[in-house]
Amino acid sequence: MIIEALCLKKKYFRDENSFMAVDGASLSVGEGEFVCVTGRSGSGKTTLLNMLAGLLPPDSGSVTFEGREYGGMNDDELSELRNTRLGYIMQGPGVLANFTVTQNVILPHVISGREGDPTDRAMSLLEQTGIRGLAAQYPSSLSGGELRRVAVARALLMSPKLLIADEPTGDLDEETTRGIMDLFSSIAKEGTAILMVTHDAETARRCDRRYDMKAGRITSPGAHLG
Amino acid sequence: MKCGKTPLSFRGIAWCNLKRRPFRTVCLISLVAVLACVLFGGSAIIGSVVSGTDGLSKRLGADILILPSGYDKTIEGILLRGEPSTFFMEREWAEKIYEVEGVIAASPQLMVASFNASCCSIPAQIIGIEQDTDFIVEPWIRTSLPGRLSDGDIVVGGAVSGKPGGRLNFFGREYRIAAKMENTGTGFDGSIFMDMDSARRAARDRSEMTGDPPPPGGAISSVAVLTDGRFTPNAMADRIYSRFGYGKSGIAVVPAKEIIGNVSGGLRTLAGFVTAFAAVLWLLCVLALSVVFSVMTNERKREFGILRSLGITRKKLASLVVLESAAISAAGGLTGIFLSALLILPFRVYIKTTISMPYMHMPPAQMLAAAAGSLAVSFAAGMLASLCSSARICARETYGVIREGDA
Ligand SMILES: Nc1ncnc2c1ncn2[C@@H]1O[C@H](COP(=O)(O)OP(=O)(O)O)[C@@H](O)[C@H]1O
Ligand SMILES: [Mg+2]
Repeated sequence: MIIEALCLKKKYFRDENSFMAVDGASLSVGEGEFVCVTGRSGSGKTTLLNMLAGLLPPDSGSVTFEGREYGGMNDDELSELRNTRLGYIMQGPGVLANFTVTQNVILPHVISGREGDPTDRAMSLLEQTGIRGLAAQYPSSLSGGELRRVAVARALLMSPKLLIADEPTGDLDEETTRGIMDLFSSIAKEGTAILMVTHDAETARRCDRRYDMKAGRITSPGAHLG
Repeated sequence: MKCGKTPLSFRGIAWCNLKRRPFRTVCLISLVAVLACVLFGGSAIIGSVVSGTDGLSKRLGADILILPSGYDKTIEGILLRGEPSTFFMEREWAEKIYEVEGVIAASPQLMVASFNASCCSIPAQIIGIEQDTDFIVEPWIRTSLPGRLSDGDIVVGGAVSGKPGGRLNFFGREYRIAAKMENTGTGFDGSIFMDMDSARRAARDRSEMTGDPPPPGGAISSVAVLTDGRFTPNAMADRIYSRFGYGKSGIAVVPAKEIIGNVSGGLRTLAGFVTAFAAVLWLLCVLALSVVFSVMTNERKREFGILRSLGITRKKLASLVVLESAAISAAGGLTGIFLSALLILPFRVYIKTTISMPYMHMPPAQMLAAAAGSLAVSFAAGMLASLCSSARICARETYGVIREGDA
């Protein structure tokens, strides 16, 4: 098991009232697995992923990544984990406008403070994601699908064990969606586990297993598909 | 450094954030620059004037000056503003004053003004000194001139053009520059010092040219008085007046502090006013920058969220923000000081006449200190302003969580 979440809860406040954005969600992703979470907008998917990435502390419940529990880790340790073991592709545009495509892709390396020049690796990832020709461009000149590919290449830079993607095809047309899904399938085949959120049942069919989320709860137990 | 290249360093992230947002960056830099400009300009001008008067009170080692009555404003002009004058009184006053109880030294000077005509190299205040009794200029000439001033020798003030060994003409007679003094920031900088006998001859030369009545034999212009300190200068002035008769004596007794005090009193007000203004400006600047940084941090929430998701620690993210504001503060501070220097230096003469203190004087070391101080204070303003934002980044989870709504 790469990641395992047990009974995660997160309460939010809106005006005077509180409500459970995530209400006792449990899930797990194994080595090299391609797992999907589906659910309608507002069902708590993003909140769940933020907790799984260690960006948001849950009110209760636990997340264990490669045997280490987030609860016992400080900010430095969690950041290091996100930097090297876990690739996170956030919902919406997730590329920094002040940096070129290549610079964006090597950001995790810059943040890590490690020695060496990751440019060659970034180039081969851009090749793999099919946007090698845009390497020197600034994000403002890229389309939504291209931006998503930049985010994917960047998430893969440090060779993480798990890729978490929050609606990576949410705002893309069918054709582009298929291209991204093909890319994910090939990444999964190469051994990187993927946890992907989508509100599109069609897209979810490409996954090995699938969880359903409704009002903060996981309603289907992550059954194997096909 | 160019943006858009790999490899990229951590500092490069901050640099490109600034460089790729030129409008925002320039606005922030300008804000700090205005602050630094005012701080440096203010401290440079006030510093020059204060050190000018400091120089004067140090140089003028006398407690009291005796002048022909009605000439107390004239001596102010000579000492503070370098306005040359010629006036006379009788030689006996030096001895008479010396006999007053409490006086330990009394030395006469002779004031002769040269003028702007073919006879004279420059318009200047010629000051004759009695080398045997002098205690005002003598010790100070000593540092630049080992022996005595012989006939025809002059010592020139720091602002007089001409080098030791050079010659200057006054009323058709040639004088040899024996020594040149350092700049003091006082009226002495434009003065010419010579022995009393030479000065008397110069006064006669002058009256021959102008047709003014010749000076009485053995005339002097003023007597510098040193007291034993038992009485205050004001009390001493009263004693001298009562001894020789108020009004009837024909002399003015001026405590030296009064001359300088007139100036430094006004200066203190000016300095206080400028300091208060600078303090208010500093506060306003910190406030304005705080608001801007805070708005900016909010606006950059998503940017910070992306960096967090890529594994940057809170500390490093805060240090990125600090690095950016440090660069802005430093650039703003340096720009402001540079602009201020650019404004002050060419307009120095204009500023001097506007505040009617021609003898502003600020040694380079002091100027550098003022620049360093202004830089530090404006830099501190920028850093203080960004402190809240970086503290917020360190403390809250906001900058890690990315939601659809955040763009
Ligand atoms: N920081 C927050 N404060 C208050 N409410 C929030 C916050 N983040 C998310 N929510 C709310 O929690 C619910 C779940 O949000 P989210 O996890 O983004 O759902 P999804 O990703 O499935 O659309 C939504 O109703 C959303 O408006
Ligand atoms: Mg969402």
